[in-house]
Amino acid sequence: MSASTTLTPLSEAEAGPILSVVRLDGNEKVCRRLREVGFCEKAEIRLLSRGGQMICHVCGTRLALSRKLAKKIWVQPFSSSLSTSSKKQ
Amino acid sequence: MHPKKHFKCYAVVGNPNSGKTTLFNALTGLRQKVGNYPGVTVEKKSGQFIGQHGEKIELLDLPGSYSLNSHAPDECVTRDVLLGLRSDTPRPDRILCVMDASHLERNLYFITQVLELGLPTIIALNMIDLAQSQGIVIDVQKLSQELDVPVIACQANHQETVLPLKLALSRAEINRSSWAQKLPSPWMRAIDGVAAVWAHAEEKTSQRDPLLRMKSLLLLASPDAEIESLSKEMRAGSALGIALAQRSMLDRELPLWREVLVSARYDRITELCQAAQGRSSVASDAMTHHLDEVLTHPLWGWFGFLGIMGLMFLSIFVIAAYPMSWIEATFGFLGNLVREMIPQGDLRNLISDGIIAGIGGVVTFLPQILVLFFFIGLLEDTGYMARAAFLMDRVMSKVGLHGKSFIPLLSSYACAIPGIMATRTIENAKDRLVTILVAPLMSCSARLPVYALMIAALFPKGTASIWIQGAIMMGLYLFGTFTALGFAWLFKKTILQGETPVFLMELPPYRCPAFKHVFLQMIQRAEMFLKRAGTVILGISVLLWFLASFPKKPSSDARNGNTPSQNTIASATSDKAAQLEYSYAGHFGHFIEPVIAPLGFDWKIGIGLVAAQAAREVFISTLAIIYHVENDEEHPDSLSTTLIQEKRPNGTLVYTPLTCLSILVFFVLSMQCISTLAVVRRETNSLRWPLFQFCYMTGAAYLASLLIYQGGRLLGLM
Repeated sequence: MSASTTLTPLSEAEAGPILSVVRLDGNEKVCRRLREVGFCEKAEIRLLSRGGQMICHVCGTRLALSRKLAKKIWVQPFSSSLSTSSKKQ
Repeated sequence: MHPKKHFKCYAVVGNPNSGKTTLFNALTGLRQKVGNYPGVTVEKKSGQFIGQHGEKIELLDLPGSYSLNSHAPDECVTRDVLLGLRSDTPRPDRILCVMDASHLERNLYFITQVLELGLPTIIALNMIDLAQSQGIVIDVQKLSQELDVPVIACQANHQETVLPLKLALSRAEINRSSWAQKLPSPWMRAIDGVAAVWAHAEEKTSQRDPLLRMKSLLLLASPDAEIESLSKEMRAGSALGIALAQRSMLDRELPLWREVLVSARYDRITELCQAAQGRSSVASDAMTHHLDEVLTHPLWGWFGFLGIMGLMFLSIFVIAAYPMSWIEATFGFLGNLVREMIPQGDLRNLISDGIIAGIGGVVTFLPQILVLFFFIGLLEDTGYMARAAFLMDRVMSKVGLHGKSFIPLLSSYACAIPGIMATRTIENAKDRLVTILVAPLMSCSARLPVYALMIAALFPKGTASIWIQGAIMMGLYLFGTFTALGFAWLFKKTILQGETPVFLMELPPYRCPAFKHVFLQMIQRAEMFLKRAGTVILGISVLLWFLASFPKKPSSDARNGNTPSQNTIASATSDKAAQLEYSYAGHFGHFIEPVIAPLGFDWKIGIGLVAAQAAREVFISTLAIIYHVENDEEHPDSLSTTLIQEKRPNGTLVYTPLTCLSILVFFVLSMQCISTLAVVRRETNSLRWPLFQFCYMTGAAYLASLLIYQGGRLLGLM
């Protein structure tokens, strides 16, 4: 049960459970943009629907993003983020 | 510099969708001024209200932002005004932050940034009722304590809840927040270092000055590609060098410094939210969730989208038809009144045929424009517009554009000018330019009168149902839309190459629309339209009347003037036609006839086309003047009736179905709007782009009309 097996890009993640952002790919401009809207590392998000574009629940709001962008966001299930890293707080 | 004002001036800031504009409207009502920030087509809205002690309080509505690290031109305006970087707008002395109570976490990111600017600030906790109905309980006092500024709960759509906010805004003294973002020590050292050099350069400023520290932070945090331009904008001078040095220090000591800057703020916000609202079960908006399951669904979403668009276009024709006939009747009555009151002569003709007929022909279309803006306002206010952009992103990304480009294109159905202004939310400069270039291909409401007239000429009374006419109208709109997408694809592939932009946007919760806000916007648009009718169109109408009436054809004029007879209508009509041919306008029409004859246009249509170059709707008033059609109470369709009887010198009809079609296609594609070109010139800051736009659109129009007319003739159509 290594963390790397559960690490997936958001575009491949399952809709429903709470996910935790682990890493962002892409240039600094895109990364900053993603972080500022709430996809910053360690953030808890939820994928609501998938399709050509995805809808996510981030920071209490619904954000739509393209699959291409979702590929840059690496997530893991929130539960495994608790077990792999020492608990927050 | 700016003269010291004696009244309080607040900048109104907040996230998009936080109800900022609704609150602004609730506070100021109709005492608003809409203008532009010079250099960019971002709307500048200011308004006033009378405070508790009878003093004037001014509000400046700044574009909605998610962050002071701006991404789009409208966010840059907000940042620049708040930082005091715009020479045309003095830095506001106070700030009113609007925060959506149901989305504290998201809103606080920007609001805490604004608090750090160190200006006296009041926070309006908007839509408190909505939050409560979703089970979000906010401890307003706690929030106020934590943020160290007054927080006032209100509902912008309920006037009585705005009163406490008005009282707070009237306060003589408001404290500056002591909120400061804690950052790891390398970050703090970097900010100290930049601020110290900057303060030294500016002499009067202390390095503890919150504005200076925020500027230093923004400079340090900017992407590599932007740091130099930002430094120039903020007049950082020698601080740029130290900022670059501090950044390489950060790279060494705190490799994740960019990440930390954002996550530290979010961590504080999470703590704050826990204190002020308790981490209640993540309350979600069930209605929005259910609606989105349908409206953003890959299949059902499209049914909804097409249904809404269909309803919109149907309403434009069905609902607007009644007030349109009233306006027509009113102008007809006015024309008759003038004819009765003023004796025969040039003055009478100028007023009745030039001014009243010209303006009447255009103002008639005001109801359609109002209905269109009503729908656009409604779609924006309910939150559907973001879903439309979401759905359309799949189409738009095929031609290399962002889903957001759809919103300017949709607005361009009403008028390309607000459409082009709406491109300010598009972040990438090339994509914005492509959207601007193709926006005027979307059929604007000024083309509507031309479409309506030509369709009426295509189907003389009773030969086609309203459905067929509606279908043709829809077809014209679709034709324009697909051409726009086609050209967008072409431009993205050739002159404005670039990657398809990333799609990322907030889907705001669905809300009951604030009709007050929607109507206010309609009134503002109507004002703009009427102003144009009163200036440009009036001028052109008078000029055209003059060109069509002078020089006088001597014989007929004398005969007509001396023996006004009611039985010689037929001869009077032929006299009028002869007079027109003799006039300046007639000469000019004949002059360009060889160029436009292959399109099936005669010299009279040529005059119309030349006049329509200033504004499309002028085509109608020009035809009305050319054919001397009087706006008559008893004959509301008089112009189209005249048109279908109009004959060429060889006896064949001018307005054959093929000619009408050719005119329609020409109007769909050609660039005939001076105001739009002026806006494009201002937006792109060059003459090249508006010129290019004019050439490619008019060229395409000419070719398409040529193809239709000549192709149709080859096929044996008339």
